Amino acid sequence: MVSDDIVIEVKDLVRIYKTGEGLLRRKKKETLAVDNISFQVNKGELFGMLGPNGAGKTTTIKMMTTLLLPTSGTVSVMGYDVAKDPYEVRKHIGLVLGGEKGLYYRITARQNLRYFADLYGVPLSERDKRVDELLKRVDLMDRADERVEDYSRGMKQRLHLAKGLINDPEVIFMDEPTIGLDPQAARDARKMIKELVDGGKTLLLTTHYMYEADELCDRIAVVNKGKVVALDTPRGLKSLMKDMSIIEVEGFGIADKEIEVIRSLPGVRTVSATLGEEKQVLRVQVADAAEMLNPVTHVLEGRKIIGVRVKEPTLEDAYLWLVEGNA
Amino acid sequence: MFQTVTQAGRVFWSSAVLAKRALFAWLNPGLWIMQLFFMSVFQIAFFVYVVRYVQGSEATVAYVAIGNAISSIAYVTVFSVCNITGEEKQQGTLQPVLVTPANRLAMFTGRAMFQVVNGIATVFIALGYAAFLFGVNFGNTDWIALTVVITLTAFTMTLFGLMLSSVGLYLRTSMVLANIFLFLGLLVSGVNFPVTQLPGWLQPIGYAMPLTYATDAARMAVDGAGLSEMGGLLFNNAILGLAWLLVGYIIFRVFENLSRRLGTMEKY
Amino acid sequence: MPKLRAIAASFRHQYLHFLADPQWLIPNVILPFMITMVVLIMFQGQQGNFALYAVLGGGMMGMWGNTLYASGWSIQFDRWNGTLEEVLATPSGLIWIIAGRSIWNALVGIFNGLFILVIAIVFFNADLSMYDPVLFLLAFLATLLSLSALGLLFSSAFVLTRQAGVLTNGLEYPIYVGTGCMFPIALLPWWTNVLSYSLGPTWGIESIRYAAIGGYEGFATGYWGSMAIMAIISLTYVAIAIYLFRVVEMKARVNASFVRY
Repeated sequence: MVSDDIVIEVKDLVRIYKTGEGLLRRKKKETLAVDNISFQVNKGELFGMLGPNGAGKTTTIKMMTTLLLPTSGTVSVMGYDVAKDPYEVRKHIGLVLGGEKGLYYRITARQNLRYFADLYGVPLSERDKRVDELLKRVDLMDRADERVEDYSRGMKQRLHLAKGLINDPEVIFMDEPTIGLDPQAARDARKMIKELVDGGKTLLLTTHYMYEADELCDRIAVVNKGKVVALDTPRGLKSLMKDMSIIEVEGFGIADKEIEVIRSLPGVRTVSATLGEEKQVLRVQVADAAEMLNPVTHVLEGRKIIGVRVKEPTLEDAYLWLVEGNA
Repeated sequence: MFQTVTQAGRVFWSSAVLAKRALFAWLNPGLWIMQLFFMSVFQIAFFVYVVRYVQGSEATVAYVAIGNAISSIAYVTVFSVCNITGEEKQQGTLQPVLVTPANRLAMFTGRAMFQVVNGIATVFIALGYAAFLFGVNFGNTDWIALTVVITLTAFTMTLFGLMLSSVGLYLRTSMVLANIFLFLGLLVSGVNFPVTQLPGWLQPIGYAMPLTYATDAARMAVDGAGLSEMGGLLFNNAILGLAWLLVGYIIFRVFENLSRRLGTMEKY
Repeated sequence: MPKLRAIAASFRHQYLHFLADPQWLIPNVILPFMITMVVLIMFQGQQGNFALYAVLGGGMMGMWGNTLYASGWSIQFDRWNGTLEEVLATPSGLIWIIAGRSIWNALVGIFNGLFILVIAIVFFNADLSMYDPVLFLLAFLATLLSLSALGLLFSSAFVLTRQAGVLTNGLEYPIYVGTGCMFPIALLPWWTNVLSYSLGPTWGIESIRYAAIGGYEGFATGYWGSMAIMAIISLTYVAIAIYLFRVVEMKARVNASFVRY
């Protein structure tokens, strides 16, 4: 790969937060949020960062977008160092932070976009045209002149997306862009993300949702406790599971203790449990399903079991193994 | 009945503890000490120098210095109490708090009580400035009477602050309201000059403020008057505090309904 | 000129917010007005120049109150609104954004100052025949700019703290006292005079008095001398503010204080 194609380069990145505690003499407490990570993102790539809460995804994004300085290590975006040349970096990137905040609520969507267009230095001759285009693109045109405080959550999120594109950035960072959206809105957002990448943009996004990462990303970095524990294509990540099977058990009244017992059975790699309103679903990762079926169901004797199936592993299983298992 | 009372008591106590913690998470101790020690000294200095320039008589300097020292109670209590609803709106915790079945009155009063202690400390520091920097003579002071006046006023001004913060529940910023009343207090409650010097239409507002009776009583105590001589002033002070609390409670209930209906609870 | 662009956009942005929520009129206009009322009543019964003295000082207090609240809250507002990071992620420097907002606030300050003058005439029968109206207006505007420069200087501190409320309230009276807007600074302890002289508005109120009060005898620098010193001090404030904003932005990126509030 030619080095010109590398748009984001993260090298040995470390971030430590110092927080004060206590009243008068503040005790210093250090938290290692990002622990020596390195990766590269190529031009036109859709790069995903996947990890549980507190894994260091948002901290990494904030360092890449110049909002935080690395404690050590470097990040360069479009060839500019985020620590030394923050203003150059900012010109070339767009930022979409998830959640509802980050917009001026008391003014209209159009006024929001215009303000950011000015701050990003979008040429005056293009400004209003671009604002209109973006409003159309995120389907807010007919409510563009209403105050943002009256918008629904989905509309705010769409406005966020428009705001992130206001400077026609070459690289776009999105921190959980679909969080809190209803399925339809999330699908629309994903469609837009795909269009952006098809249009030649480079995109880095973080997400909690496995199918989203699977559907969208060219490559995925799985982050846990500040480290990159795996970096591969979705297919590559799934192949981590190629010798494994999943025993899926649906039932009622399964206790945590029983899950622990299953987890400790020889031949079981890890267990994930989803607690629904009514039933529980256990996914037990095993090397040999035929051999393990009996021991697993044996532990659950006396519980009401609706079904036991052997399944092909998904990306989610790979993720769970990487994050929860002793990978 | 007993259960209702203990439940209210628990809500009260945990809210008070929360207020103290929130204060320090939000306002770091350095700033708090700055507020405690420096806020009042410049206010007293400003009005003392104005009065020296205009009249130059020491009697009026003492009048102004004590008046402003007492009014620093209002700063701490009213301002901080109003912060409670304001801050919750900003942090988005107002809704979760209001959906709890806890007695609202106990909850907000509990949070306010920490400010009472804070207010009393502020006033004693301010009186120290009056004595050491601006030469007010405390030789004849009836300290018991003065302490009673200050403690009572810290409570009544907190109650007044609770009333304002109920209004703040509905308006976008209760801080703005708090500021108005703080400054209005300087004008109408006998802090810098007697209420009788106000234009006639402003005087009734002055007489409705607990602070008006507090400043007068404090000056009497500094001059050596005992509790028995200022009974009327203390009574008015206390009654007005309770009256404002009642007003606040009614406003609170009305606005709680209104903001539920109009959805302004989380707007700010 | 991307800087002018950011200033102009932030000016308009502040104005839109002002219109969206005119409640801000209260801290900006009504509060300083109330303090002036207090002082006017304290000055009541005094003859001639005393009233004018109070009104001029009141006008300046009004402008400072407004500037201070506005510069303090303009960052705090973004922090609460959750937009501070979004604004910082743009290539426009924070100082130009704040500067644009401060200019709008300064305009509100003019109304504020004039409002107090009108009230003084109507309610307190103050005799406000200006000695030299043109020079007065010039000094008035220059003082306003000087106050804004001071506000800009303080606002750098607001990037790092969540406590704009305490700081704004804490900085209000010290400036009222230090600039001697309501009494000659000669009344203050001698060792504080250095501090007073280092405040641009101290010289501003001096030149305002020279222009407004015939036969006024204040600082030996006279009208133009005071104006010149104020200009130099104010430019120094702006220079320091530019430097401080750079430091503070850097510091905030190090200790993550943009994020916490």
